Amino acid sequence: MRLSFAALSVAILVGAAIPVQAHHSFSAVYDGNKPVTLRGKVSKLGWSNPHAHIYVDVVNQKGETVTWEVESASATNLLRAGIRKEDFIGTEVIIKGFLAKDGTPTVNASSFTLVELKKEYTSDEAFPAAR
Amino acid sequence: MKQAGIVAGVCLALVLQAAALAQGRPDFSGTWRFNQAKSSPNIAGNTPIVPFPSQLVVKQTATEFHVDGSSVRQQPTSAIFKLDGSKVSIKAPSGITETGEAKFEGSNVVITSRRSFTSPLGETVVDFKEVWTLNGNVLTIEKTRSESGDAATEKAVFDKMS
Repeated sequence: MRLSFAALSVAILVGAAIPVQAHHSFSAVYDGNKPVTLRGKVSKLGWSNPHAHIYVDVVNQKGETVTWEVESASATNLLRAGIRKEDFIGTEVIIKGFLAKDGTPTVNASSFTLVELKKEYTSDEAFPAAR
Repeated sequence: MKQAGIVAGVCLALVLQAAALAQGRPDFSGTWRFNQAKSSPNIAGNTPIVPFPSQLVVKQTATEFHVDGSSVRQQPTSAIFKLDGSKVSIKAPSGITETGEAKFEGSNVVITSRRSFTSPLGETVVDFKEVWTLNGNVLTIEKTRSESGDAATEKAVFDKMS
Protein backbone atom coordinates (compact mmCIF):
# COMPACT_ATOMS: atom_id res chain seq x y z
CA MET A 1 0.00 0.00 0.00
CA ARG A 2 2.86 2.34 0.95
CA LEU A 3 4.62 1.42 -2.30
CA SER A 4 1.50 2.23 -4.33
CA PHE A 5 1.27 5.65 -2.69
CA ALA A 6 4.93 6.35 -3.52
CA ALA A 7 4.41 5.25 -7.13
CA LEU A 8 1.34 7.46 -7.43
CA SER A 9 3.28 10.45 -6.03
CA VAL A 10 6.09 9.92 -8.55
CA ALA A 11 3.57 9.65 -11.39
CA ILE A 12 1.89 12.92 -10.35
CA LEU A 13 5.24 14.73 -10.13
CA VAL A 14 6.39 13.46 -13.52
CA GLY A 15 3.06 14.35 -15.06
CA ALA A 16 3.21 17.86 -13.63
CA ALA A 17 6.76 18.36 -14.90
CA ILE A 18 5.93 17.68 -18.57
CA PRO A 19 3.87 20.83 -19.27
CA VAL A 20 6.34 22.94 -17.28
CA GLN A 21 9.12 21.78 -19.56
CA ALA A 22 7.06 22.50 -22.68
CA HIS A 23 5.82 25.94 -21.63
CA HIS A 24 8.76 28.22 -21.04
CA SER A 25 9.22 31.98 -20.88
CA PHE A 26 9.93 33.74 -24.18
CA SER A 27 13.07 35.48 -22.98
CA ALA A 28 14.62 32.25 -21.71
CA VAL A 29 14.77 30.83 -25.23
CA TYR A 30 14.33 33.64 -27.79
CA ASP A 31 16.12 36.89 -28.54
CA GLY A 32 13.72 39.84 -28.73
CA ASN A 33 16.40 41.89 -30.50
CA LYS A 34 16.64 39.49 -33.45
CA PRO A 35 13.48 39.55 -35.58
CA VAL A 36 13.56 37.31 -38.65
CA THR A 37 11.27 36.59 -41.57
CA LEU A 38 11.24 33.09 -43.08
CA ARG A 39 9.70 31.92 -46.33
CA GLY A 40 9.54 28.22 -47.14
CA LYS A 41 7.51 25.02 -47.35
CA VAL A 42 6.08 23.20 -44.36
CA SER A 43 7.65 19.74 -44.10
CA LYS A 44 6.28 18.54 -40.76
CA LEU A 45 3.87 19.63 -38.08
CA GLY A 46 3.68 19.08 -34.36
CA TRP A 47 -0.01 19.76 -33.66
CA SER A 48 0.04 20.16 -29.90
CA ASN A 49 -0.60 22.31 -26.85
CA PRO A 50 0.68 24.59 -25.40
CA HIS A 51 2.50 25.24 -28.70
CA ALA A 52 2.13 23.90 -32.19
CA HIS A 53 5.50 23.33 -33.88
CA ILE A 54 5.79 23.98 -37.60
CA TYR A 55 8.85 22.63 -39.42
CA VAL A 56 9.69 24.71 -42.48
CA ASP A 57 12.29 24.10 -45.19
CA VAL A 58 13.97 27.42 -45.95
CA VAL A 59 16.75 28.08 -48.48
CA ASN A 60 19.55 30.11 -46.88
CA GLN A 61 21.90 32.60 -48.55
CA LYS A 62 24.29 29.78 -49.52
CA GLY A 63 21.51 27.99 -51.39
CA GLU A 64 21.26 25.22 -48.81
CA THR A 65 17.89 24.04 -47.52
CA VAL A 66 17.67 24.26 -43.74
CA THR A 67 14.71 22.95 -41.75
CA TRP A 68 13.55 25.53 -39.19
CA GLU A 69 11.50 24.72 -36.14
CA VAL A 70 8.81 27.35 -35.61
CA GLU A 71 7.08 27.56 -32.25
CA SER A 72 3.58 28.90 -32.73
CA ALA A 73 0.39 29.33 -30.74
CA SER A 74 -1.38 26.31 -29.30
CA ALA A 75 -3.28 23.96 -31.59
CA THR A 76 -6.43 25.02 -29.73
CA ASN A 77 -5.86 28.71 -30.51
CA LEU A 78 -5.09 27.94 -34.14
CA LEU A 79 -8.32 25.95 -34.46
CA ARG A 80 -10.24 28.83 -32.90
CA ALA A 81 -8.73 31.10 -35.56
CA GLY A 82 -10.00 28.75 -38.27
CA ILE A 83 -6.63 27.17 -39.07
CA ARG A 84 -6.57 23.37 -39.28
CA LYS A 85 -3.76 20.85 -39.18
CA GLU A 86 -4.48 19.93 -42.80
CA ASP A 87 -3.85 23.52 -43.90
CA PHE A 88 -0.11 23.25 -43.27
CA ILE A 89 1.41 20.21 -44.92
CA GLY A 90 3.35 21.03 -48.09
CA THR A 91 2.13 24.60 -48.19
CA GLU A 92 4.26 27.70 -48.53
CA VAL A 93 4.42 29.91 -45.44
CA ILE A 94 5.81 33.30 -44.52
CA ILE A 95 6.73 33.51 -40.87
CA LYS A 96 7.70 36.53 -38.82
CA GLY A 97 9.26 35.79 -35.49
CA PHE A 98 12.26 35.99 -33.21
CA LEU A 99 15.42 33.92 -33.42
CA ALA A 100 16.44 31.46 -30.71
CA LYS A 101 19.27 32.59 -28.46
CA ASP A 102 21.25 29.40 -29.05
CA GLY A 103 21.72 30.18 -32.77
CA THR A 104 19.84 27.10 -33.99
CA PRO A 105 17.26 27.46 -36.79
CA THR A 106 14.45 27.97 -34.31
CA VAL A 107 12.02 30.87 -34.09
CA ASN A 108 9.04 31.92 -32.03
CA ALA A 109 6.37 33.03 -34.50
CA SER A 110 4.68 36.42 -34.15
CA SER A 111 2.62 35.75 -37.23
CA PHE A 112 2.43 33.46 -40.20
CA THR A 113 0.76 33.48 -43.59
CA LEU A 114 -0.33 30.34 -45.43
CA VAL A 115 0.42 31.66 -48.91
CA GLU A 116 -1.79 29.44 -51.12
CA LEU A 117 -4.75 29.56 -48.74
CA LYS A 118 -4.30 33.31 -48.11
CA LYS A 119 -4.81 32.68 -44.39
CA GLU A 120 -3.00 34.78 -41.82
CA TYR A 121 -2.49 34.21 -38.14
CA THR A 122 -1.17 36.75 -35.66
CA SER A 123 -0.22 35.83 -32.14
CA ASP A 124 -2.85 37.41 -29.93
CA GLU A 125 -1.39 36.70 -26.53
CA ALA A 126 -2.50 39.74 -24.58
CA PHE A 127 -0.03 39.60 -21.73
CA PRO A 128 1.61 42.85 -20.65
CA ALA A 129 5.29 43.49 -20.86
CA ALA A 130 5.85 42.05 -17.39
CA ARG A 131 7.08 38.59 -18.31
CA MET B 1 42.86 90.35 -34.27
CA LYS B 2 40.70 90.71 -37.36
CA GLN B 3 40.86 86.90 -37.92
CA ALA B 4 39.74 86.26 -34.34
CA GLY B 5 36.77 88.52 -34.89
CA ILE B 6 35.81 86.62 -38.07
CA VAL B 7 36.07 83.24 -36.28
CA ALA B 8 33.96 84.53 -33.37
CA GLY B 9 31.39 85.86 -35.83
CA VAL B 10 31.16 82.55 -37.67
CA CYS B 11 30.78 80.66 -34.35
CA LEU B 12 28.04 83.03 -33.21
CA ALA B 13 26.23 82.62 -36.53
CA LEU B 14 26.36 78.81 -36.21
CA VAL B 15 25.04 78.91 -32.64
CA LEU B 16 22.23 81.28 -33.64
CA GLN B 17 21.36 79.09 -36.62
CA ALA B 18 21.14 76.00 -34.39
CA ALA B 19 19.03 77.90 -31.89
CA ALA B 20 16.75 79.15 -34.65
CA LEU B 21 16.34 75.62 -36.00
CA ALA B 22 15.58 74.34 -32.51
CA GLN B 23 12.86 76.95 -32.03
CA GLY B 24 9.41 75.66 -32.71
CA ARG B 25 10.51 72.06 -32.35
CA PRO B 26 8.69 70.02 -29.73
CA ASP B 27 10.85 68.72 -26.90
CA PHE B 28 10.67 64.92 -26.62
CA SER B 29 12.86 64.84 -23.49
CA GLY B 30 11.60 62.71 -20.64
CA THR B 31 10.96 59.18 -19.44
CA TRP B 32 8.26 57.47 -21.43
CA ARG B 33 6.38 54.31 -20.45
CA PHE B 34 4.63 52.03 -22.97
CA ASN B 35 0.82 52.21 -22.78
CA GLN B 36 -0.52 48.85 -23.92
CA ALA B 37 -4.18 49.87 -23.90
CA LYS B 38 -3.63 52.68 -26.40
CA SER B 39 -1.20 50.81 -28.66
CA SER B 40 -1.75 48.38 -31.54
CA PRO B 41 -2.87 45.00 -30.14
CA ASN B 42 -0.27 43.16 -32.20
CA ILE B 43 2.62 44.59 -30.22
CA ALA B 44 1.49 43.27 -26.86
CA GLY B 45 2.55 39.91 -25.57
CA ASN B 46 5.62 37.82 -26.09
CA THR B 47 5.90 37.92 -29.82
CA PRO B 48 5.17 41.33 -31.29
CA ILE B 49 5.44 41.63 -35.06
CA VAL B 50 7.16 44.97 -34.58
CA PRO B 51 9.09 45.15 -31.30
CA PHE B 52 8.95 48.27 -29.12
CA PRO B 53 10.76 48.98 -25.85
CA SER B 54 8.78 49.10 -22.60
CA GLN B 55 10.44 52.34 -21.58
CA LEU B 56 12.27 55.15 -23.35
CA VAL B 57 14.50 57.80 -21.81
CA VAL B 58 15.01 60.74 -24.17
CA LYS B 59 17.29 63.74 -23.84
CA GLN B 60 16.96 66.30 -26.60
CA THR B 61 19.26 69.24 -27.25
CA ALA B 62 19.42 71.65 -30.18
CA THR B 63 21.72 69.29 -32.07
CA GLU B 64 21.38 65.84 -30.48
CA PHE B 65 18.74 63.29 -29.63
CA HIS B 66 19.69 60.71 -26.98
CA VAL B 67 17.48 57.63 -26.82
CA ASP B 68 17.81 54.81 -24.28
CA GLY B 69 15.35 51.97 -24.75
CA SER B 70 14.74 49.12 -22.34
CA SER B 71 12.38 46.18 -22.20
CA VAL B 72 11.86 43.00 -20.24
CA ARG B 73 12.17 40.96 -23.44
CA GLN B 74 14.96 42.80 -25.22
CA GLN B 75 18.46 43.81 -24.25
CA PRO B 76 18.70 47.61 -23.82
CA THR B 77 19.75 49.82 -26.73
CA SER B 78 21.23 53.29 -26.60
CA ALA B 79 21.90 55.90 -29.26
CA ILE B 80 23.03 59.49 -29.50
CA PHE B 81 21.66 60.72 -32.81
CA LYS B 82 22.79 63.93 -34.48
CA LEU B 83 19.74 65.92 -35.53
CA ASP B 84 21.42 66.84 -38.81
CA GLY B 85 20.55 63.33 -39.99
CA SER B 86 24.12 61.99 -40.05
CA LYS B 87 24.61 58.27 -39.46
CA VAL B 88 25.67 57.10 -35.99
CA SER B 89 26.36 53.75 -34.33
CA ILE B 90 23.69 52.45 -31.99
CA LYS B 91 24.82 50.64 -28.86
CA ALA B 92 23.26 47.22 -29.37
CA PRO B 93 23.58 43.85 -27.61
CA SER B 94 26.48 41.54 -28.40
CA GLY B 95 26.29 39.97 -31.85
CA ILE B 96 24.21 42.80 -33.32
CA THR B 97 25.47 45.71 -35.41
CA GLU B 98 23.14 48.68 -35.72
CA THR B 99 23.45 52.12 -37.28
CA GLY B 100 20.86 54.85 -37.62
CA GLU B 101 20.05 58.47 -38.18
CA ALA B 102 17.47 60.93 -36.84
CA LYS B 103 16.07 64.21 -38.11
CA PHE B 104 13.10 66.47 -37.65
CA GLU B 105 10.47 66.41 -40.36
CA GLY B 106 8.13 69.23 -39.41
CA SER B 107 7.27 68.62 -35.77
CA ASN B 108 7.97 64.87 -36.00
CA VAL B 109 11.24 63.10 -35.38
CA VAL B 110 12.04 60.40 -37.93
CA ILE B 111 14.56 57.73 -36.95
CA THR B 112 15.76 55.17 -39.47
CA SER B 113 18.04 52.33 -38.48
CA ARG B 114 19.57 49.15 -39.88
CA ARG B 115 20.21 46.13 -37.66
CA SER B 116 22.33 43.20 -38.83
CA PHE B 117 23.23 39.90 -37.22
CA THR B 118 24.15 36.37 -38.21
CA SER B 119 21.46 33.70 -38.31
CA PRO B 120 21.05 30.29 -39.98
CA LEU B 121 19.68 32.27 -42.95
CA GLY B 122 23.07 33.99 -43.35
CA GLU B 123 23.65 37.68 -42.69
CA THR B 124 20.26 39.01 -41.63
CA VAL B 125 19.45 42.68 -42.15
CA VAL B 126 16.39 44.35 -40.65
CA ASP B 127 15.47 47.96 -41.40
CA PHE B 128 13.36 50.07 -39.06
CA LYS B 129 11.70 53.42 -39.59
CA GLU B 130 10.15 55.26 -36.64
CA VAL B 131 8.02 58.39 -36.82
CA TRP B 132 7.72 60.07 -33.42
CA THR B 133 4.82 62.42 -32.75
CA LEU B 134 4.36 64.38 -29.57
CA ASN B 135 0.96 65.47 -28.25
CA GLY B 136 1.30 66.94 -24.76
CA ASN B 137 2.36 64.14 -22.44
CA VAL B 138 1.66 61.45 -25.00
CA LEU B 139 4.28 60.14 -27.40
CA THR B 140 3.17 58.09 -30.40
CA ILE B 141 5.67 56.07 -32.40
CA GLU B 142 4.73 54.51 -35.70
CA LYS B 143 7.35 51.93 -36.53
CA THR B 144 7.91 49.92 -39.69
CA ARG B 145 10.01 46.76 -39.73
CA SER B 146 11.29 45.71 -43.17
CA GLU B 147 13.32 42.72 -44.20
CA SER B 148 13.59 40.37 -47.16
CA GLY B 149 11.16 42.56 -49.13
CA ASP B 150 8.46 42.24 -46.49
CA ALA B 151 7.27 45.02 -44.18
CA ALA B 152 4.96 45.52 -41.22
CA THR B 153 3.94 48.71 -39.43
CA GLU B 154 2.57 49.10 -35.89
CA LYS B 155 1.86 51.98 -33.55
CA ALA B 156 2.88 52.32 -29.91
CA VAL B 157 1.77 54.95 -27.43
CA PHE B 158 3.94 56.05 -24.51
CA ASP B 159 2.92 58.13 -21.48
CA LYS B 160 5.30 60.64 -19.95
CA MET B 161 6.44 59.62 -16.48
CA SER B 162 8.85 62.50 -15.80
